[in-house]
Amino acid sequence: MSIKTSILSSIGQKLLLATSGLIMFLLFLIPHMGGNVLFLFGPDMFNSYAHHLHQLVPIVIGIELLMLTSISVHMIMAFRVVLANRKAADKRHTLKSSKERSLAARLMPVSGIMIFIFIVKHLLDFKFYEKAKTTLHGVETYDVYAMVLSRFQGDPVHLVFYVLFMVAVGFHLSHALQSSIQTYGIYVPREGSKIKLISAVVGWGMAATFAIIPIFAFIK
Amino acid sequence: MSKQINLTLKVWRQNRGEEGKFETYEAKNIDTDASFLEMLDVVNDELTLKGIEPIAFEHDCREGICGCCGSTVNGKTHGSHERTTLCQLHMRHFEDGQNVVIEPFRATAFPVIKDLIVDRSGLDEIIAEGGYVSVKTGNAPEASTTPIKKEMAEAAMDAAECIGCGACVAACPNGSAMLFTSAKVSQYALLPQGHPERAQRVKNMVAKMDELGFGNCSNEYECAVSCPKGIDVKNIARLNREFIKANLGKN
Ligand code: SF4
Ligand code: FES
Repeated sequence: MSIKTSILSSIGQKLLLATSGLIMFLLFLIPHMGGNVLFLFGPDMFNSYAHHLHQLVPIVIGIELLMLTSISVHMIMAFRVVLANRKAADKRHTLKSSKERSLAARLMPVSGIMIFIFIVKHLLDFKFYEKAKTTLHGVETYDVYAMVLSRFQGDPVHLVFYVLFMVAVGFHLSHALQSSIQTYGIYVPREGSKIKLISAVVGWGMAATFAIIPIFAFIK
Repeated sequence: MSKQINLTLKVWRQNRGEEGKFETYEAKNIDTDASFLEMLDVVNDELTLKGIEPIAFEHDCREGICGCCGSTVNGKTHGSHERTTLCQLHMRHFEDGQNVVIEPFRATAFPVIKDLIVDRSGLDEIIAEGGYVSVKTGNAPEASTTPIKKEMAEAAMDAAECIGCGACVAACPNGSAMLFTSAKVSQYALLPQGHPERAQRVKNMVAKMDELGFGNCSNEYECAVSCPKGIDVKNIARLNREFIKANLGKN
C-alpha cells in the first residue's frame, strides 16, 4: 500500500479530518476565543488587542492561509467520508440506534455545514466590513469595539443567529474532540470516559464563551 | 416453567437480485424454552405444510460460537440481548401476542442471498488479507517457550472471541467493519507470533475493507453495543494505532 492509498484509505481520511480539525481548534479557535473575551473588558482593551493583531500581519496571513487549507481539507474529507458511509449503510428498514449513539455524533454533518455557513456570514459581518477609526493612547486605529456593538445592538435576529450557530459549535466540538482522540489510536472507552467528559465540557464551554460576546453586545 | 406463546412475525422475504418485502406469519404455540431459531423452525414446518416456501436463515452450531446466525430483530442485531447470538436468544424474552419484525443484517457490502441470509464473504476476504500467521510452526511448541505477559494474552484472547457474525457491520450507522477488522488485527498485534507480519497485515486488511465498500468508523460505538461477544472499541483504537505506526514504518 503506497502512502497515497494510505492517505485515501478510510483511516487515512479520518486522520486528515481529525488533524485539520485539530489545527483549526488549536491555532484558530482558542486564540480567537481569547481575543474575544477581551471585548468584555471594554473598548480600550479590545481595540488595543485588534491594533496589536494588525501589527502582526505576516503571522496573521500565515495563519489565515493555514486555516483556508485546513478547512478545505476538512470539508473535502468530511464529504468523502459521509458519502461513502451513506452508500455503505443503505436500505435499512428497521434498525434502531442504541442510546450509545449521541446526538452530537449523529449531527456532525449538520453542525459542520451550519458552522461553514456561519463562518461565511461572520467574515462578511466583521472582516470585510468597513470600520470606523478611533484614537487609542494617541494612536489612530480601527474602532472594532464600536463595530461589534453596532452589529448587535437593537438587532435580536442577528443575536439569535449567532447564539444558534454557537450551539452547532458546541455539538460539533463535543463529539469532534473525543472522536479525533480515538482516531489517533488513544482508547476512548464507551462508558465513564474522562476524555468524553472533558471533550463535552471544553466543547460546550467554548461555544458558551463565544456566545457571551454577542449577548453582551446586545444588552449593553 | 415454560409456557406457550403466540407471536406475529413480520419477516423479510427476498430472492437474490429481486426486490424484497416483509411478509406476515403467525407463530403459534411457541414454547418459551425454545430458542429464536427453534421458533423459526416451528414456523417453517407450518409454512411447508401450507405449501409456502420456508424462511431461509443461516445457522450452524446453535451454541453461540460459530458466527453463522444473526438477523435484526425488532430493530436490534441478534435481538439486542447483551452478549447473545440469535441462536442463544430464548423465547422467554418475548411476550404472548408480541409483534416480531425480522430483517436480515443490512449493509451494502452484505448483499441478500435469500430472505434472512446475507453474503458475508467480505469478512472472509478481509481475513484472507492477513488475518493469520503464515510462518510454519510445526508441532505444537513446548508451553512457555515464548513468554507472553498475562495481560497481553488475555487481551489477545478477548479480541479472538470475535466469531465474525457481522452484527457490528449491520448495527454501524456507516456499515463499517472496523470492529471486526480491529479484533482480528489486535489478536495478532498483541502476540509475538503476529509481529513479523504486523505492518503489512494492518495495511492490507484495511485496504480490503475499504475496497469492499464497508463504511468509515465515526466513533459512534454502536458496533460494541451490538457485538454478541463483547468486543470492545479499545480494539478500534489499537487498529488505528497499528495503521498509523505501519505507515510511519514504526513496526
Ligand atoms: S466484532 Fe462482534 S459483532 Fe462484529 S463480527 Fe465479531 S463477534 Fe460479530
Ligand atoms: S448458529 Fe452458531 S453462533 Fe448462532
